[in-house]
Amino acid sequence: MPSSSGTASPGKVSAGRASVVTLPTGDGDGNDGGARSVAAVARVRRQLPTSPWLFAAPGLLVVGIFILYPFVSTVVNAFTDRRTLIPGEFVGLANFRELLHDEMFWIGLRNSTLYVLGVVPALVLLPLLLALLVQKNIPGIAFFRSAFYTPVVASIVVVGLIWVWLLDERGLVNSLLEAVGVGRIGFLSDQWLLLLSAMTVTVWKGLGYYMIIYLAAFANVPRELHEAAAVDGAGAIRRFLTVTVPAVRSTMVLVGALSSVAAFKVFSEVYLMAGPDGGPAGEDTTLVMLVQRTGTGLTGRVGYASAISVVVFVVTVALMLLVLRADRKEDA
Amino acid sequence: MPRRALAAAVVALVLPLSACGSGGDDSGSTDASGKVEGDITFQTWNLRANFKPYFEGLVADFEKKYPGTNVKWVDQPAEGYADKISADAAGGTLPDVVNVSPDLVAPLAKAGLALDLDKAAAKYKKEYLPGAWASHEIPGMEGTYAFPWYLNTGPLFYNKSLFKEAGLDASKPPKTYGELFDDALELADKSDGKVATLANVPTIEDFGRYGVELMNKEGTAFAFNDTKGVELLTKYKELYDAKALDSQALTATPESSGKKFLTGAVAMNPGSALDLGNFKKQAPNLYKNIGITDQITSTGKVNMYVMGVMVNARTKQKPAAVAFAHFVTDAQNQMSFAKKVAIFPSTAGSLDDPYFTEEDGTDETRVRIAAAKSLKNAVNYTPVLFSEQMKTELRNNVAKALQGKVSPEEALDNAVKACDRLLQQQG
Repeated sequence: MPSSSGTASPGKVSAGRASVVTLPTGDGDGNDGGARSVAAVARVRRQLPTSPWLFAAPGLLVVGIFILYPFVSTVVNAFTDRRTLIPGEFVGLANFRELLHDEMFWIGLRNSTLYVLGVVPALVLLPLLLALLVQKNIPGIAFFRSAFYTPVVASIVVVGLIWVWLLDERGLVNSLLEAVGVGRIGFLSDQWLLLLSAMTVTVWKGLGYYMIIYLAAFANVPRELHEAAAVDGAGAIRRFLTVTVPAVRSTMVLVGALSSVAAFKVFSEVYLMAGPDGGPAGEDTTLVMLVQRTGTGLTGRVGYASAISVVVFVVTVALMLLVLRADRKEDA
Repeated sequence: MPRRALAAAVVALVLPLSACGSGGDDSGSTDASGKVEGDITFQTWNLRANFKPYFEGLVADFEKKYPGTNVKWVDQPAEGYADKISADAAGGTLPDVVNVSPDLVAPLAKAGLALDLDKAAAKYKKEYLPGAWASHEIPGMEGTYAFPWYLNTGPLFYNKSLFKEAGLDASKPPKTYGELFDDALELADKSDGKVATLANVPTIEDFGRYGVELMNKEGTAFAFNDTKGVELLTKYKELYDAKALDSQALTATPESSGKKFLTGAVAMNPGSALDLGNFKKQAPNLYKNIGITDQITSTGKVNMYVMGVMVNARTKQKPAAVAFAHFVTDAQNQMSFAKKVAIFPSTAGSLDDPYFTEEDGTDETRVRIAAAKSLKNAVNYTPVLFSEQMKTELRNNVAKALQGKVSPEEALDNAVKACDRLLQQQG
């Protein structure tokens, strides 16, 4: 039974270790081999507490240098007036107090929040419907699965440029709109339309990724449940709502959590479509764009940008906890 | 003990890293006398792709002239160049000799990373145009912090057929801002708002060319919110409302406005002699109708861009680094570089060379000669202390005024206030 080894007492484990170590020394010289095996067991026992750390050292080093150090450094910098070339001094909560009076910070917070509200519902529901469409094994379906996944693997810069061309005042979309008599629309010059256009690109690019996650979740929905519901006379929509949705609810929560964190930290789409200033008068700036704009360059205010980063971190963690808490409540 | 081992590992990891980028104010000595020898690194700004043979030859000539020297040439892409320098400066890995522009030199000089050439290389000063040598002076600091390298100024291109369609005289393009505004409103009116004259909002250079005082004399505060500044922005607002300014001007970049000009959506666009080749290749119809005129200016002086070559104040090979920076920017090497690309030497007397004065009938030469002529009294209107963050503040406030969210006066007051705050924070 698999559980027997799992419940082994420490004593048994030690005995097991001893026998493992003794085996190679079984050369016929029982006494000598016994003494050596005892020494070997003692050596292994001495080495055991540190050896896991040795194995973990390369990983710890990478995590320490590339994850922990930048993170701790950002938090520390948030309490200083550090600039790119000047180390700065401890200023307490001054950066956070300044944030409260910084118009651009509130614009960034508003846009990042709007992005979550606009993008997350679409990214939870649309890929689910798309996954339903492509889950059937019919001839040629692989083409559609690949086609829907293509935007995921395309470079965001290329995607951004293509959408800018499409939505430009003289681009394809506006030419079509003019041809049908609607007239040209300032997708890239109006503050709100620009944000909406960037959200559309985010949803378009993310659909395929979340579709794959849903397809994997569908594979775990017991077929018997669908059959039972069908026997009871449930139609396709009712089966979807009463069988499929409850079965993939955890996946929907996961998609919601992942997409809300990504949406709150959005940078590339808005940067590419709205320009480095963040749209007209900077009205489309998101928080991460503000971090980039404030903290980079030779005159970058690293301390202040770090304070914005800390706010982004706190809000993203809060978002995750909120989504997971909502999930737990529904479970209860 | 695992816990102790872990703690020791973390301390060992964090301590050396925490030293990174700590900066410091040890600017070192400015004495560059001594034997020119040793290994130095020279960094250029996006020049390898087009000028590799020129720079390889330059390095070889220098090494031949000074046996015992070894120059490692590195080139960085245009995109993110300031960020690359920032990272190097903060990490203590700034190359010995660096291609910079005046606005990049200012923070480096303030951090003690740029060598004061008035002290270390004063003997070379007379070789350069006085204005060019002064272009790397930093307000509030004594000294000059980079050798002037090449200068550039661009003509203004205009689409003759769009001018003719609007009933304007294509042989008389606007020269001053007043003429520009009149023509732009006429063009927008005649085309029912379909043809804009400009695709960009006014920049700090526009304020300078309009005659606005940009900073106080001490360089301690900005001043472009004066009556003239408000007047310029009010006029731009009028253009924007009349669609004489492209509707996407508020989010435009130089690249996007260049494309607008190529497609005939806007009638005028600044550029350089290099652009003529692009027009010929990408828009032959436009090329047939291209008009070339001087930059719009109401001060009589056009704007010039200056490139510099800075010496890292902390280089271990000061004599070699100073000698090489001078070698790159001396009259002979600047002239030979100018013959490879449409730039202009900053060395005294070079602009009198027949290459910059004698016509040969081609458009390229006409542009070159006109530009060289205008450079003699050109001004670098961008204040060296005007950082990227300040440019963004100005653009955003200008955009608010054009949208009508605030008055031009209020917008400029806000921009000046924000730029002054950033200036103080720069230290």
